[in-house]
Amino acid sequence: MSHASHLPTGHGSHGDDHAQADHAQADHGVGKYIAVFVALCFLTACSFFTYSRFWPFHQTPEVAWVFMTAVSCTKAMLVILFFMHVKYEANWKYVLTIPASIMAIFLTLALVPDVGARVHGLFGFGGKYSQERREYAADVDDQVLMVDTSKKVGEHGEHGEGHGEE
Amino acid sequence: MTEAPIHDPSHADAGHGHPPKLVYQPALPIPNGKLFMWLFLSTEIMFFAALIGVYIVIRFGAQVWPATHQVHISEPIGAFNTFVLICSSVSIVLSLEAAKSHNAPMAKLWLAVTLALGGVFLGVKAYEYEAKFERGIYPWYPRSRIFELPDVYFGSAVRTRADELRGQLDAANSPLLADLRDDEELKRHIEEMKDTKNYRKLMEAREEESKESAASPGEQVAQKESDDVGKKPLANDEDKEFTSEVKDWLELTFRRPAASDAERDIDEGGLARLAAEIFPLPAPGAGSHVEGLNERFPWLKMPIVIPGGNMWASTYFLLTGFHALHVVIGLIAFGIMLGTMSFSAAKAGVIENIGLYWHFVDLVWIFLFPLLYLF
Repeated sequence: MSHASHLPTGHGSHGDDHAQADHAQADHGVGKYIAVFVALCFLTACSFFTYSRFWPFHQTPEVAWVFMTAVSCTKAMLVILFFMHVKYEANWKYVLTIPASIMAIFLTLALVPDVGARVHGLFGFGGKYSQERREYAADVDDQVLMVDTSKKVGEHGEHGEGHGEE
Repeated sequence: MTEAPIHDPSHADAGHGHPPKLVYQPALPIPNGKLFMWLFLSTEIMFFAALIGVYIVIRFGAQVWPATHQVHISEPIGAFNTFVLICSSVSIVLSLEAAKSHNAPMAKLWLAVTLALGGVFLGVKAYEYEAKFERGIYPWYPRSRIFELPDVYFGSAVRTRADELRGQLDAANSPLLADLRDDEELKRHIEEMKDTKNYRKLMEAREEESKESAASPGEQVAQKESDDVGKKPLANDEDKEFTSEVKDWLELTFRRPAASDAERDIDEGGLARLAAEIFPLPAPGAGSHVEGLNERFPWLKMPIVIPGGNMWASTYFLLTGFHALHVVIGLIAFGIMLGTMSFSAAKAGVIENIGLYWHFVDLVWIFLFPLLYLF
């Protein structure tokens, strides 16, 4: 809990030397914040990179998912540790953050058998979608709706107007 | 476990003569305000974890989920908004640092910058929402015009809307007609329609009908006149002719001629093509979107087909809506602080607390951006 006390929180009687110490700390802090800012921008560019055509794994979206999750967690860590000063807090930080995080994770996991596995099933859970419901549900195979965007717009109109004559 | 006494920690130092001076701590070693904020944030962690967790679970368990471009998500806009929020996180932390080093004007300035950046974020968000709304993508009926499949329900909704539009055109001094009169694109479409076999069929059928009714005293005189191309129409007749042309276009485009209603209803391939004409869905991975009839003629407001679109809209608007609500609350707090507070070092604690909240809002967006825009 050594670092936690340097914040002036209402009871501050700031002598000159104290203020100078604060100032030195602030200067140091600004550099640190800029470094974190640059890192965050870089990481955002990294996740955006998965959208660009230079991203090599467009065929397997799972790679992008794992990559983006890792990038997001890194960004979240940077924000929590430096912007929210958690790196410099005393051990009380664990009292609040760990239970909240555990409950958040368990809440999500608790939804998997019922909601997450409702269609496809997972490890023997779920998959209770009836055949009838499956038939009337929208499906990935409804490719007839998809349009090749490389074609010109005008061609679609003709395509539709021809219908009904056959 | 050893038998070390729990109640008396100073016992461990026995024999050294100087036991550590223990101070009674009635609570966590942080100011009450900060404790409150952290407690609040831990409930917020669970709140957003529930929302984001449900989104992930629903999305990956779904039978089908629309690709981003099918629901008109723009990744560059999302990335820009991420950048704006990161900047605002930096600016509020700089405000805190300025306040701590007794630089009140600077602290105030940085907080004002944060307020402005939050405003930019909300502005971009509003623009994005508007883009969804004008395409009929809403989280609720009847505003939402999303259908999951190009099935008979979709087909009948399209016909209902086409009939509604024809009704509007028939009304005296129809405001819709006034809008359409100068629409060159529509006129081009109507000209194209006149070349089709279906139109000629329709005209022949109509002519026959009018011949039959000519025997009995005529109702269909106006119709006959509009068919007469050689005659130069008067101003009012011009309107009448245009109205009937637009109505024919609506009829032929959205109420495809078929032998019977039953035949039309089972023709799902035709409905799928019609859906693709109204609101084309780019194939996943394909770049930009294609303009459909709905976008070329905003007054059409035809139903659209997006497989998985309704669940997508619900989760998208729920997640971004709650996030935007948090941004709004943050901006209100900034506004109150800028209006009423002095930014002396003594107030650094307040800036720190609101900063914690703002960083949390940023944190949520850090996860929402890839989940909603890039996954």
